[in-house]
Order: sequence, then C-alpha cells, then structure tokens
Amino acid sequence: MARYLLRRLGFALLLVLVASSAALLLTRLAPGDFAAAQGLDLTSAQREQLRETLGLNQSLAEQYVSRLGGALRFDFGESMLYSRPVSALIGERALNTAVLATTALLLATIVGMPLGIYSGTSSGLGRAAVRMVSTVGVSIPPLIGSLGLVFLAARTGWFPVGGMTSSAGADVTWSAWLADLVRHLPLPALALALPLAAALEKLQSESIETSVHEPFVAASRARGVDRARVVLRHAWPASLRPVLGLYGLMIGGLFSGSFVVEVVTSWPGLGRLMFDALKARDLFLVAGCAATGAFFLAAGTLLADLLLAWTDPRVTSGDEA
Amino acid sequence: MNRQPRALLSVLLILVVGFLGWRAWNSARTDQEGGTELVVSDVSTRGGTLTSSLRSEPRSFNRLVEARVPTDLYSTLTGAKLVRINRATGEPEAGLAEKWTISPDNRTYTLTLREGLAWSDGAPFTSADVVFSLQAIYDAKAGSVLASAFKIDGKPIEVTAPDARTVVLTLPGTFGPGIALLDNLHLVPKHKYEAALKAGTFAHAMAVSTPPAELLSMGPFKLTSYAPGQRLAFDRNPHYFKKDAAGIQLPYLDQVIFEIVPDQNAEIVRLQAGQLDTLQQQVRPEDIGTLRPLEQQGRINLIEPGVSVDPDGFFFNMRAPYWSKDPRRDWITHKEFRQAISHAVDREAYANTVYLGAGVPVWGPITPGNKRWFTPNLQRYGHSVDRAKEILAGLGLVNRDADDWLEDPKGAEAQFSVLVFRGNTSVERGAQFLRDELKKAGVRVDVVALEQGAVIERMFKGDFESIFFVVLTSSLDPAMNADFWLSSGPSHFWNIGQPTPATDWEKQIDDLMVTVTTGVDEAERKKAFDDVQKIFADNLPALYFVAPRLYMGTSSRVGGVTPSILRPQLLWNVEQMTVTEDR
Repeated sequence: MARYLLRRLGFALLLVLVASSAALLLTRLAPGDFAAAQGLDLTSAQREQLRETLGLNQSLAEQYVSRLGGALRFDFGESMLYSRPVSALIGERALNTAVLATTALLLATIVGMPLGIYSGTSSGLGRAAVRMVSTVGVSIPPLIGSLGLVFLAARTGWFPVGGMTSSAGADVTWSAWLADLVRHLPLPALALALPLAAALEKLQSESIETSVHEPFVAASRARGVDRARVVLRHAWPASLRPVLGLYGLMIGGLFSGSFVVEVVTSWPGLGRLMFDALKARDLFLVAGCAATGAFFLAAGTLLADLLLAWTDPRVTSGDEA
Repeated sequence: MNRQPRALLSVLLILVVGFLGWRAWNSARTDQEGGTELVVSDVSTRGGTLTSSLRSEPRSFNRLVEARVPTDLYSTLTGAKLVRINRATGEPEAGLAEKWTISPDNRTYTLTLREGLAWSDGAPFTSADVVFSLQAIYDAKAGSVLASAFKIDGKPIEVTAPDARTVVLTLPGTFGPGIALLDNLHLVPKHKYEAALKAGTFAHAMAVSTPPAELLSMGPFKLTSYAPGQRLAFDRNPHYFKKDAAGIQLPYLDQVIFEIVPDQNAEIVRLQAGQLDTLQQQVRPEDIGTLRPLEQQGRINLIEPGVSVDPDGFFFNMRAPYWSKDPRRDWITHKEFRQAISHAVDREAYANTVYLGAGVPVWGPITPGNKRWFTPNLQRYGHSVDRAKEILAGLGLVNRDADDWLEDPKGAEAQFSVLVFRGNTSVERGAQFLRDELKKAGVRVDVVALEQGAVIERMFKGDFESIFFVVLTSSLDPAMNADFWLSSGPSHFWNIGQPTPATDWEKQIDDLMVTVTTGVDEAERKKAFDDVQKIFADNLPALYFVAPRLYMGTSSRVGGVTPSILRPQLLWNVEQMTVTEDR
C-alpha cells in the first residue's frame, strides 16, 4: 500500500510540474504579453519600461528557470495584474472555490448516486424518466445551465442572481454572513452539480446494472437475502470502481474552478482568477492557477484511487482478474 | 465486510448535511422576506445605498499610475479636483480651487484654494499637496500615466506654492484648453506618500492590498472595504467640501457599492432583478429591447445621454516599409482605395445591423456627440457600390477571372486582412459587416479576431494590414488628444511616431494642430480644427462608419442623474445622485 501511495504521489507531483510549466510556456509563447495587454493606456516607452521592470524581456529559458527556482522555494512570484503575491491571491480564491465545489460535489452525489442505483436496478417508467432527465442533464453545457439558472433566479427571486454574498452582508455577524452565503450558493452549485449528477447517475446505473448480474449477487439472492439489502450491501460496492474513477476527475475539476460558472454567477473563485490572468497575460498568476488546478486534479485522483483501494483491495494487490 | 455499513453511513451523512443546508437556505430566505416588512421607506433625498457594477477588478488605487476603468471610478468617488470640467456643460467649474486668475500671456494660472479643506483623515489639504502631486506625476520612477498630459510641447509645468492656499502654475507655453487641463490632475496626499516618492516606490503605493483606512480621500466618498472578486464599498466622506444650494452637505448618498460582475449578461440580469442601480457602462443595443418593457413598468430608466464620442474606426497600416515587397503595394495604401471602401459601406445598414438602429452615420472621428468640435461640413462618400467599383477600376482593380474578386494587372487579388479585438461584440460585428459590404464591390476581407493585447502589440510593431477597433475618448478637446492627430504621436495608429511627417497632408495637420493646442482664441482654434477634420476626411487615414447612441440603464429608485457622453456617464457627479428608497 505504501508503495502504491508513493507511486501516486509521484504522479501527482509530476502532473503539477507539467501543468504549470505548460501553462507558463504556452502563455509566454502566445502573441502579446502583459505590457501589450495594457491596451492604449501606456505609451510605447512606458510599455518598454514595464517589460523591463517585470522581466518580460528575459528569454523563455531564463524566465522558466527563474520561476522554477522560485516555486521550489514556494515563492510563486508576484501577480503583474494585482501587484500581490500569487500565493495569497490563490489562497483567497481557492477557499471560495472550495466552498462551491464541496457543495456541488455533495449535491451531485446526493442526487446522482441514488438515482443511478435506482435506474440501474429497476425497470419501467421511473427508470425511463430518470434516464431521460440525466441525458438532458449531461447534454446541457455549464454556460447554458448557469445562464438558465440566472434567468430563473431573476424571474422568480427564489435566490440571488449572482455573487457570493450580498452587499448588505458586508458588515454583519458571522452567522448572518453564513446564512447569506448559503442563500447565494444554490445558483452556482446547481449549475455545477446538475451535469455532474447526471453523469454520475448514468455511470452508476450502467455499473450497478452489470453488478446485479454477477454470480455472487445471484448467490446472495438464492440464500434468501432481501433484494434491497443485496443491492446496497453487495452489488453497489462492487459497482463503485468506475464511479470512483469519475469522482477523482470531478473533484479535480470542481476544486480547480469552473471559469464559465464563476464568471456568469460572479463567484470569486479560482476559475475566474485564471480567466482574468489569461486575459491579462499575467504569466505567474496563470502558472500558479494551473499548478493549483493540477494539484487539485492530482489530489482528487489520489483520493479516488485510495477510495477504490479501500473498496476493492485487488487494486493494490495487483490481482484484478 | 464492514465497508458496506460505512458506505451507508456516508450516504446518510451526506443526506443530513444536504437537509441542513436546505433548512439554512430556507430560513435565510424567510428571514429576508420577513425583513422586508420592517422597512419603512420614506422618499428622501439624503441617505441610502447606491449599488453599481464593475466589470473588472482594480489593479491599483493609484490613479497616477493606473488609468483603467476600476481605478478611474475609484478616483471619481474618492478624488476631488482643483478645477473640474462639468461633463454636462463642458465648462470648467470651481472645485478645490474657489477661484483662479490667468496672466495676460495665458501662461500663468494662480489658483486660490478653498478654506478649511481636509483629507478624509482630517489632515489639512494645502497647496503643498498640489505641488507634490505634480512632482509625483513627473517622477520618472513613478511612471505616471498622466506625465505626458502635463507636458506642454514636451516640457513640464512649473508649480509653486507661495502660501498654503495659493498655487501658481507656469506653463512653458500657451495651452489651448487652458484651465481645463486641471481636470486631469488627480491629487495625492503629501503627508502620506512623500516618503514613498523619495524612496522610488510611489508606483506601488495605494496597492489593492492597502487597508482601506490608509487610503485617503478628498472626494465625496471613502473606501471602507474591498472584497477581491466581490465588491468595493464606499461610505460618505464627512470631510467632503461640497454643499448643495440649500446648504446640505454632499454627497446625498450614505454609501456606494460596486459589485464586481465580470459578465455583461449577468450584469443586465442583475439590473433587471433590482440588484443593481446602475451599470458600469452603456447598455448594449441588443439589451435595449429586453429593458424597454421594464422601463414601461417603471422598474428601470433608460437614459440617453447622446451620441457616443467613440465611433468604430478602421485603418490600414500606412508604414511604407511594410508594403515595400507586397504585390498589393501599388493600390492598397492609396487614398482612392480607402475612398472606394467608404463608398462601398452602407452606413445606414451598418447602424441597423451592428447597433440595431441605435447609431448615426459618421464621416470622421469627431461625432455629433462632441457638439463643440464636430463639423458637419466634411467630404461624404455616399453609399454606392457602382462608384466604389469605378474607383477601384481606376486603380486597375477589375475582375479578371471567374471568381467574385477583383485583381490588379499583375494578378494580385483585391484582398486584405483586418484584425479585431476578440470579445468586443460591436467591433466584431462591424468588421463582419465591412467584409460583407466589400464583397459586393469585389474586395475580399479576412476578419481575424485576436485578444486585445495581441492586436495592440501588432499595431505598435506595425505588423498588420488593417485594424478595426474603437478608441475610447477621454476628453472632448482635441488638444487633449493631440497624440492621435500629430504625425509624431504615439496614438497616430496608422503610422505611429513618425520622426517627420510622411505625407504632405500629415504635415498640414501637424501645423494646424499647433493652433489647436496652443491657441487661446476659441474661434481660431475651432476653425483650425475644422480644417484638420476636412484634411482628414479627404485623405481618410482612418475610416469611420457609425457612432452608437448611448443608453444608460438605472433602476427607477435612482435620482439626481446628469448624464454625460464621457465616462463615467452617470457617476461623474455621484455627489448629487440620490436613491428614493431601500430595496
């Protein structure tokens, strides 16, 4: 198990390194730079001065080595856009994204998994309805989903149209702030969770449908064990392997921030930060956001692998036959 | 075998957490609904909170080094000027300076500050702060974006402070806009930033991480909180100097909040939902139809300040070396080619297609929105595809094969590429409209949408065939935008920073602009600038098709609005704005 864990950790580190390096190199190689992105606010001389000050005139290799050296010392540089340390900016936004991601993950799990178990082990109109809804859910892109929810919120007033807290919540008690936050969560959380819930339902359904036909399930039934008990205690754990695989990706994707949902719903998270950094060609912030995203993806995958190893010991023993 | 109970427990736990979350959300909603019953909303001119939107985050609160919209809006709320241009009348009005005199040679301005002025920390505002602000603007290490605006013919203005209430500005030469120059002067407190300027760190002063209590204000509001990615909140500045005619201390509002809403669609929805009172910028033409019914219901107001002073512009690369080896060099930089393009574009159809009817045809960069400097007597190239084809044929461009496009005698196709900013919907639509119109004349246009930074970089490097974009005007007086008109100017986009004028007509414009920038007789300045516009329209270094009509959206609770065509169109006189009741 320790060897397995080390292997996965090594993979996670490699992923973070590759993703942040690729982000830095690709942003650097694309036409234009931070100084050019200032538009017409600066004169040519000021633009050149800015390049000099920020080290944008350095060669690609110099920049990369300098950034890599900094990252090894946990110094991710200073954002050109905000003139603040990248690590501080990412820390603030990662917390906001984590709140949203955790809610969306819980929501997707609560909705997707039970429905998947139901549709995978039953037949008739209910199953057909669930499958149809999840097909629609999977097909709706997050942009359309979030715009639809924003429209719904504006028309009905059921929940705020956007933001993480309301203006009135600027100087309030902790509990009032929390209540305000909870009021703002449904819109972005639903926008993120609905397609994920639909994907989870589909995967869980297909997986459990296979599991319920396994010989050990038939044997349990033959011994007279109650059907619901057989499904939940025997077939469901055996069906979790593909679902947990998706879970890893879901965790990674959610925690690294969805810029579409965050921009449309004005949620101040990592996705929006990355989007702004990319628009402004803020090299170090882009690299920092990419590294954070890769870290969450690696952590999610690792968590999913550990869960998988917990539910299915064949994974770590190598006995997968 | 004990994994299954754990899994079941996990599901149960998730269900419980979800249920509690739902309860909390539900109770928060109920609380809010209950709360609205307690609100007693008297219509009042004083008090209340105005909520506006901001599309992007501030990068700095230092207006001397950062000119973007968020910083400029911050400065509008927290800054005061010695002399301000009234955005509605275009005339200078007294600000921190209660009066001023101008010397007979129009080079020395002596300003007297009001008595008892104070920064928001209570420290007195004196002439030393004015001197210090200009020192910071001219400081090379500070890298102020205002430095060039405060140089006359490349030379700085001398500033002295004979006493605490007197400021003397001596210009190196006469300056056409006169005292209006001071509308650009943003003031910073000497007692707070003198050390930073001496240490060469002024460029980093007033960073967004600065605690709001340390940011001083002379304006109607002071920053009280900044939640990155969420909002900026401003409270009334009790030290603000202005009072209304009845002697009531301004501003009327208690608080202004800027909600950061990066997406323009979400911004409109929040205005519709009553969560915003004003928008950062004008309403897009495509949103007007959505907002009209709400206007009829009395929920929002659509205000039309006038015709925008920022028309869509289109220009070719006029740097001769760029085309020296290009087979199209014999015709692409000729003014007749540009005149043919101007004839080929139906401006009425452009206004209908790109601005959904909310635009007026224009024939030069100065639009009817700029009432003082606009001249209608310019060469107009009426829409006629036949006339365009005739001119193109005169350049040797005729259809020599079976395709839709014209060719010159050497076989080079009548084709060029045009760069546009990706994401600017009206400009992208405008470039596509241009492409479709020129197709009718047999000219092929390839529209290339790039990120703004990439377009700007290619423009400054001269690596482009043509660019379609919109330049945002910061001042109505052409002397304040001389960089665009002068051949040596950094904003002379078609051929930037020429050491000597490349053409005779650019030389003529340079000469006339001397009168516009240094003349003190308004009639002479206007005549000179009319001539500049005529030369421009004859030679068409840049083509202009349509200027949009501006529409500003506000919630119906907003009052005291005096709209302007210049940014910020509504908040420029935020101290006079009111809200009638809380939501």
